[in-house]
Amino acid sequence: MAPAIAAHALTRSFDGFTAVDHIDLAVEPGQFFGFLGPNGAGKSTTIKMLTGLLAPTSGSIQILGQDLFYNPVEVKRLIGVVPEGMALFGKLTAREYLLFVGRMYGLEKVTAEARSTELLEFMGLADQGKKLIADYSHGMGKKLALAAAVIHGPKVLFLDEPFEGVDAIAANTLKTMLQSMIARGATIFLTSHVLEIVERLCSHIAIINRGHIVANESLDELRAGVQARLTPGAEGDPQARITLEQIFLNVVGGEAGETAHPEQELTWLS
Amino acid sequence: MAELERGGWTAAQTRAQFGAIAWLRWRIMCNGYRRKGGVGEMVGMVLLSVLFLGMVLAFVVGAGFAAYFFVAKGHLAWITWLLWGIFLLCQLLNIQLGQPTTTFDPTQLIRFPLKVETYVGIRLFFGLLTPANVAGTLTSLSVAVGIGVAAPRLWVYALIAMAVFAATNVLFSRMIFAWVDRWLSTRRAREVFTAIIFMGSLGIQWANFTFNPAYNHNHRTHAYAVSQQRFGFVGPLIARAQPWLKPLPPELASSSLTKANQASVVGFAGYTVAASLWAGLFLLVFALRMRTEFRGENLSDGASVVARKTTKALRVSGGTAVAPVSVAAVGTTAAAANEFAVAGGARVWAVIEAVLNKEILYVRRNTGILYGLVMPIFLVLIFAGKFATRSSTGSIWVFPVAVAYTLLAICPLSYNSLGMETTGAQFYFMAPVRMRDILLAKNLLGSAMAGVEIVLIFVIVSYMAGVPSLQTAVAAIFWAVGTLAVNMIFGNQRSITSPKKMDLQKAMRRQASQVSGLIAMAVLMVSSGVAAGIFFLCFWLHALWALVPIFAVFAAVGVGFYLQSLKTIDRFALDHREELLLELCKAA
Repeated sequence: MAPAIAAHALTRSFDGFTAVDHIDLAVEPGQFFGFLGPNGAGKSTTIKMLTGLLAPTSGSIQILGQDLFYNPVEVKRLIGVVPEGMALFGKLTAREYLLFVGRMYGLEKVTAEARSTELLEFMGLADQGKKLIADYSHGMGKKLALAAAVIHGPKVLFLDEPFEGVDAIAANTLKTMLQSMIARGATIFLTSHVLEIVERLCSHIAIINRGHIVANESLDELRAGVQARLTPGAEGDPQARITLEQIFLNVVGGEAGETAHPEQELTWLS
Repeated sequence: MAELERGGWTAAQTRAQFGAIAWLRWRIMCNGYRRKGGVGEMVGMVLLSVLFLGMVLAFVVGAGFAAYFFVAKGHLAWITWLLWGIFLLCQLLNIQLGQPTTTFDPTQLIRFPLKVETYVGIRLFFGLLTPANVAGTLTSLSVAVGIGVAAPRLWVYALIAMAVFAATNVLFSRMIFAWVDRWLSTRRAREVFTAIIFMGSLGIQWANFTFNPAYNHNHRTHAYAVSQQRFGFVGPLIARAQPWLKPLPPELASSSLTKANQASVVGFAGYTVAASLWAGLFLLVFALRMRTEFRGENLSDGASVVARKTTKALRVSGGTAVAPVSVAAVGTTAAAANEFAVAGGARVWAVIEAVLNKEILYVRRNTGILYGLVMPIFLVLIFAGKFATRSSTGSIWVFPVAVAYTLLAICPLSYNSLGMETTGAQFYFMAPVRMRDILLAKNLLGSAMAGVEIVLIFVIVSYMAGVPSLQTAVAAIFWAVGTLAVNMIFGNQRSITSPKKMDLQKAMRRQASQVSGLIAMAVLMVSSGVAAGIFFLCFWLHALWALVPIFAVFAAVGVGFYLQSLKTIDRFALDHREELLLELCKAA
């Protein structure tokens, strides 16, 4: 079975600076895949390339066995995206926007209308009536962007910081929804700086740093590996279970040698 | 923090803050020209600035000469009208050219350690440098020079009076615009305000064409007589309003000069102090507004939303949030593929239909575009009758000229097709759609709007100036089709390579690339020039029959090239998606 997402030697350079450098990724169908990295590591560049928003300098991308470069339209029918900028249309209402997105994905008008209603209820946006999206708060925009990303029932979902600015209750609902999508066979590719969320949702993790993939395993394997390095002999001990934050700091800090020394401080701060 | 505690705030630090803000504005402007296409933007800006400077200089010099003439002829009191003119011009230019906050939001400055006085000072100082305020101040000084040359004994008085008048003018505009920002903090208010401004603008155009002698050669024409009859009340009305206008700054400035002319220094001083009090009052009201702003008021639409209680969409049961409905839409089984019921050619039309629906909503909600569409019709309504009666052959040209004028409003729209989408433009690259279909839908709407306008113009021209000949009408329509097609070829490419993010929250700001505007204008002018040449040639050769085939060929060629351009637009859009998304997704 073809991987849900496969990237080979994916590279992107900007004026001599290589943001993403020959990375390989393979995400299996049904995986909840967390893509982590410090600021400027190349996360957004990678997700933009995987969703067709940015052309790679070199390398190839396949989604469910279809080449993104040669079959962009077919690939885009299979995916849903919540991009960094949310891709909303400010002068539409939420309902109008969802109807528009549904029609653009080729849904019948009746289906698009029914799903819009359902999604607005689900996201708690149904009572916003005639309010234009331009007047939405950031969190409301995020919820709407997520609604738009799933209206056509995508098989692969790309989420760039989907929980940023979303309140705790809505975030919980969204997490439940995403997990139910996974249960039904979808694949989700998620980037987030909130490591607790990633730890709770994702079964597999890749960490990118300075344009290179520095870790790409299941969360359990990653945890076992780092734990073995930190506390040899405690791999099976549930008491010594380390968090994703510790894993992340260990992998990225160790890779980059960037962990701040305790004695290093800003002297003018009181 | 230790340094902050060590001593109080110094004047040098305040000066440094002013310097930093000046530097910020300068850098923002320079950096704006550094991006791709920035050089073209700069050239456009320079060209428009030269044009504007020429107009301002003409007005400044004209005002000076007028002041000289009034004083030299012994009509010093007439200066009042000149001052009212300067006052109105200054305010109108401020509305048309915008305020100096176009580069950054000055309310952001409140997060820095500024004193309220410094904040007021900064907002005031940087507002003085608007083109309109500079033009108004220069014109006032020019009036002072005119008076001084005509009556050298008055030059000191004139300089003082005009300096005070210029200050009241500038402070008034600063005060009004500070409050306008407050009043226009909601979208609805902005739309209403824009509509009022546009209606006012239409009214001024109408008044200009109706009453300006340049458009009324024969004063005994019926229209003029009717106007005289209808608006004869204006003169007495002004006379009755005169006592109420007396205490206002233009009248006070004029009265102070009259007193100076009568050698009454006390009288001059009294009127000048009164005018200064107005300036003080404007400054005070401005400062009060700035103080409220400084305290961190939030005027956005979003702020009012927070206060509104919304219905809870989530049921919380036992501390766990439960979705109120099951979302079947997110079922992602293989069956999902079957839900794409629309396929093949029908799918293309579904996309076009979806984009058309969205575009219609956008046009409906954009007062600026609506104004642009109404304006040509309105002006044709005014112009048609007048020009048709100028000569026996007048009616032949009215319809083609009116069509060309209409395209002036329609053509630029296609040069920034994606500007209003802002971050939404990303969607077109994420969704299974082709840019060809998106742009085709947008162009179809533009063409449909042009079609409606041309039909309306045909009806108006037929009523006001007589039905155009069939040859002329058909030829003009063919020309319009060809010109629209050519413009859309350039427009689609410019929409992708040089988009301009259009800020939906700011009704009065410049919303399109200057270079694109110039290109649209150039294409239209070249096309109009060539068409006019062909019209004249056929008219001169008495071969008007040739117009239709010539312009039919032009339309066919234009449409052919347009369709050809659509074939490559997908690749073109993909090749330029980065610069497109960079501009449209950038932070405000």
